[in-house]
Amino acid sequence: MAANPELKQKVEELLRENPVLLFMKGTPQMPRCGFSMRVVGALEQLGVEYGAVDVLPLLGPLREVTGEIADWSTFPQLYVNGELVGGCDIVEEMFESGELAEMLGAEQPQHAEAPGSQAPPNPQQSPPLRVDQG
Amino acid sequence: MIERALPGAEVEVIDETGGGDHLRATVRAPQFAGRTRIEQHRLVKNAVQARFDDGSIHALSIKCATPGKPSR
Repeated sequence: MAANPELKQKVEELLRENPVLLFMKGTPQMPRCGFSMRVVGALEQLGVEYGAVDVLPLLGPLREVTGEIADWSTFPQLYVNGELVGGCDIVEEMFESGELAEMLGAEQPQHAEAPGSQAPPNPQQSPPLRVDQG
Repeated sequence: MIERALPGAEVEVIDETGGGDHLRATVRAPQFAGRTRIEQHRLVKNAVQARFDDGSIHALSIKCATPGKPSR
């Protein structure tokens, strides 16, 4: 099935507007999936600003869209400058190695550890972004 | 399956839960050289896509490395 063109356009718009954009299940304040929570944890430890889209309300249609845009249909997905960087495995590896900090122009924390499953105390991302169908 | 798609790859698969459907694969393949992580993961995922489609794998966690370089 082809992705909904209007939704795809909306996603492409969000990717242009947000240099760092995370598609996740739930919100940074209340992640609804352990993998999404771990990516949020890495971004929070680096202190970067990012946009976050909760995919749960439109999970199926968004899978179609990211499948077409980036050949990737599982979430979370982290995009930097419109390019898919990866899901949880890749983001954690790059966080631990310092590559993520470098890519985002952030300072590597002294004790960079896999964020584990703790919700961040003070998420500093922009207000939750919404995608509406049509 | 992965070895067939990526000739020369060294593959280690661990069953994380004992249920056979949550797997962790460590793949070291010459084809990864010069590719970004996301491209490496796509190669592995595409190799096992059929197992996802038929439902026999639910989750696959992937770690990729290029031969001669430490696993990262």
